[in-house]
Amino acid sequence: MSDLENITNQIRLATDYQVNKRILREKIQTDLQIPHNGGLFKVSIELISFLNSWDQDELFLEDLYQNPIKIDRKELLNKCREHYQMVMNTWHVQHEEIRRARKV
Amino acid sequence: MKKYVVQEKSRGVLLFAFNTDAVNYVKIAERSAQLAKSTLGLPITLVTDSHIINSIFDRVIQVDNFLLNYKPGQANYVWRNGDRYRAYELSPYDETILIDSDYLILDDSILKLFEQDFDYRIMTHNQTPDNDWNETMGIFGLQYQWATVILFKKTKKSKMLFDLAGRIQRNYGYYINLYHIRGSQFRNDYAFTISNNILNGYNQEMTMGIPWKMLTFANGINSLTIKDKIVTIKESNRAYLIPKQNIHVMDKNYLLTDNFENFVRTVCG
Repeated sequence: MSDLENITNQIRLATDYQVNKRILREKIQTDLQIPHNGGLFKVSIELISFLNSWDQDELFLEDLYQNPIKIDRKELLNKCREHYQMVMNTWHVQHEEIRRARKV
Repeated sequence: MKKYVVQEKSRGVLLFAFNTDAVNYVKIAERSAQLAKSTLGLPITLVTDSHIINSIFDRVIQVDNFLLNYKPGQANYVWRNGDRYRAYELSPYDETILIDSDYLILDDSILKLFEQDFDYRIMTHNQTPDNDWNETMGIFGLQYQWATVILFKKTKKSKMLFDLAGRIQRNYGYYINLYHIRGSQFRNDYAFTISNNILNGYNQEMTMGIPWKMLTFANGINSLTIKDKIVTIKESNRAYLIPKQNIHVMDKNYLLTDNFENFVRTVCG
């Protein structure tokens, strides 16, 4: 294999890794969405921080469909924490798998 | 005191498949149905004009379908995508997941949408492995809706969406001119986009969409394999490793191959 072919193959592998990484991230964004009390929320560090710091236990939060949803702060916070942990772990595991494939 | 029994709502998947000389859409729908059934655990109904016995489907509804579409410059390339608007009337379910037969259900993300109160939800955002798909259609920049996936409940507003899509199919030339959309072939995507736009008072801010992106493979595919929740998709000169998720595969010839049949068998266990 010539030097040029080698470089081309290496670039292709690197590019493919970036594409796979992007697709995986999009899937994780979908997985982060959870239904709660008739609403749909995307679990994020901002949402978790907000729920953690708010001083009332009952409040209304805007969901992804721009509806105000009545929530129990502690209940949603627990749900978000568990879900976030689970999805991030999955992301890490699957990211390692596609990284390994890059070296093949 | 009188006791009332609350009837559980029925939910299922609805597919349309009309064979052509070149493509056995019913066979593709059978494979797609196997994946949907295995992943979602829901009953599947097929709408077709073919005579079917002993199939994977829980129910087969036979209808006539006369609409033919020709690919520009290829008079022998025909597809029959009409009458999708009849899904509302034909669906035996209170809550229906209407999908194209080339949409492969490999995860249950769709189910979380049913926990909300809605009339219908349409796939709005689309992407290929490399890029986001164009989000608008026509010179007025109408927000694209993909009829590939439509979730609907039997409500007055959903009925209007489908009735209006039927009206647009019957008067297609008028509506594509009105909306300045190119192409004379009937497309369900266009019909439902226009119907959705009219139904929501021409307001593009109304959010009836599914809030994530559909992943579409528009090129020819050589093989699909799955290992440890990672799917490997090989095209002629590239391969993708993606997490197990719903995908839209436009290569109909691939969906009829033995390789795809093996993939379905592996996923369904």
